[in-house]
Amino acid sequence: MKNKSKMKRTMKKDIRTKRKPRPLKKGKKSSSAVAREKTQKLISDKEYGIKERRHFKRRSADQNGSRNHLREIVSHQEDELKTKNGQIKKWEDKERLAEEQILIRTKVMDSASDGIFIIDAQKGDFPVIYYNQSFQAMTGYPKKDILGKNYFLLYGAVADPRIAEEIKNTLLQDKSFHGEMINFRKNGENFWNYLRIAPVRDAKGIVTHYAGIQTDVTVMRQKDLKIKEQREELLHVTRVGKLAEFVSSLAHEISQPLTAILAYAQAAQRILTGPPTGQAERELQLQEILQYIVNDDQRASEVIRRLRSLLKKSDPEFTPIDMNALINETVVLMTTDVTVRNKVIKTKLHPKLPLIRGDRIQLQQVLLNLISNSLDAMETKDESRELVIRTSCKATIEIMVEVKDSGCGIPLQNMKKLFKHFFTSKPDGLGMGLSISRSIIEAHGGQLEAKNNPDGGATFYFTLPVVLSKSKGKRIPNDQS
Amino acid sequence: MTSRKPIIYVIDDDVSVGRALSLLLKAHDFTVETFTCAADFLAFKHPKSTCCLILDLRLPHMNGLVLQETMASQGLTIPIIFISGHGNIPKSVKAMKGGAVDFLPKPFTDKELLEAIDRAIAKDKIINKDLAEKEKIWRRIKTLSPRELEVFRLVASGMLSKQIAYKRGKALQTIKVHRSRVMQKMQAKTVTELIHFAQKAGLISSK
Repeated sequence: MKNKSKMKRTMKKDIRTKRKPRPLKKGKKSSSAVAREKTQKLISDKEYGIKERRHFKRRSADQNGSRNHLREIVSHQEDELKTKNGQIKKWEDKERLAEEQILIRTKVMDSASDGIFIIDAQKGDFPVIYYNQSFQAMTGYPKKDILGKNYFLLYGAVADPRIAEEIKNTLLQDKSFHGEMINFRKNGENFWNYLRIAPVRDAKGIVTHYAGIQTDVTVMRQKDLKIKEQREELLHVTRVGKLAEFVSSLAHEISQPLTAILAYAQAAQRILTGPPTGQAERELQLQEILQYIVNDDQRASEVIRRLRSLLKKSDPEFTPIDMNALINETVVLMTTDVTVRNKVIKTKLHPKLPLIRGDRIQLQQVLLNLISNSLDAMETKDESRELVIRTSCKATIEIMVEVKDSGCGIPLQNMKKLFKHFFTSKPDGLGMGLSISRSIIEAHGGQLEAKNNPDGGATFYFTLPVVLSKSKGKRIPNDQS
Repeated sequence: MTSRKPIIYVIDDDVSVGRALSLLLKAHDFTVETFTCAADFLAFKHPKSTCCLILDLRLPHMNGLVLQETMASQGLTIPIIFISGHGNIPKSVKAMKGGAVDFLPKPFTDKELLEAIDRAIAKDKIINKDLAEKEKIWRRIKTLSPRELEVFRLVASGMLSKQIAYKRGKALQTIKVHRSRVMQKMQAKTVTELIHFAQKAGLISSK
């Protein structure tokens, strides 16, 4: 109880002390009072200042006035500085924000899986002024080889220069380009590049930069190719299957009359050597049998005749052909195949090759066949990459086309059999390609031959007669260009 | 053996092949019957004679292999020589497994065919001999009384008279009487012969 009352007391005391401000010592003012005085003074100063400004022109510069004037100026300048400082701070903030933005953008650009780059359009040699990490990874070049260097040099020395030219021309016309092509990394590895480049314009509409995005689509391309390969394989299987089926039914159709003929003939032999029957009866029997033999022979012939008409193709269409153009066209057809196999086709074409006459499709078939054979021959050798197609002109009466590979060459024992039907050295080959090719070339009045190169690999070469103009016996000039 | 000519059945949907084979085989002193489809052959009333069948693998409606199966299921034991215009290995294997005598790819010579026919006829003779013997045994079995037949079965399964008596609760003497009756009726000189008869008749399974 005592304690409680004591506590109450102290509490009362506390309340009292809080409520009652401590008595101030004489001569000392409370802080609020000081502030009040200061405000009063400022107000009077201000009033004074206003008055002073009002009467500034009239009044002479008395001491009091000049002091006030100075104060006025200082305060004015102070304000000015304050606003300027504020402005600078604002600018700084803005700048920092911008820097952050740029940093974020750079990071985003670098984390993109696509290669992104910017080319200066004002300079003639297409220098790269910006690129992201993916771009560098894709091309494989160091910074010093990219920055400020001609963008098109990054395609690799082996890349087809015609594509770069096409892109340049498109850009120079201020148009955007998109397309797929094969590029080479610094280490020589190739990749399928899906490229989009667009011109960037300034406020006046003048193209200042080219912005580009490129994507490595090699995997997709390979997938496509795999699907294509599988489809072709399937086609081949069905073709071989169909062939087997066809041969089987053909065998059956021919074996029937052959069986009958053999049985008739041997029955006749037996009748002649067997126990004698009446002469007249025997003759009658033999005549009957011979007629049956003739009938069945005709049946067999009919099967063969039907087979012939089935295999008979329409006559080849002979037109004037520029072999160089046909080769270029064929090489383009094979590009994907060649690239995926990591091989290169080089053409050394005679600049003034005369025209020949022939069936375009058949001759292209021969070229495709020889090229794909050569590629197959180089398949096993990784170090041999180059396939050379050369055209030349022999004494203006015939042209020669050579397909030279650096593959495994032709074993001597195979040399003679090479062009025979059904001869093949490939596990799944039909052995028809070269024999058909040779008959096509021969039908064109030329010759198809093969030889091993002294430095490895094989060369298949064929000749074709040059078209002579009827009147003067002069060759028809190549009007390609 | 009877001096009757063996009959050769030929089934081929190709009329000319059938006719040619018929002429050839007739020249070799066979009796030949040709058919162009399996159904005609099955409908034919086969005379009881040594025979074999020259069967084309590919036939309309019912092919050679199906006919082979059908014949087996009907107990038709005629030996088969398959002929075919297709060198179809899986089918020829199946044909041979089904008991075919030979498989001749077309065209074949008379020598090949005649050799195959010789083998087929030899096989048919064995089959027929077997059949005849089986029939003879069954004729004897049919003369047995039910009790004698039971004793016959038990003796054939290798049981001694004592065991049979014990199992059936009969006097040994009774069993012995039954047994001697069985031997007499079956015309068996020894127990071994009796067991052989039982096997032939299919009363007990041969090993």
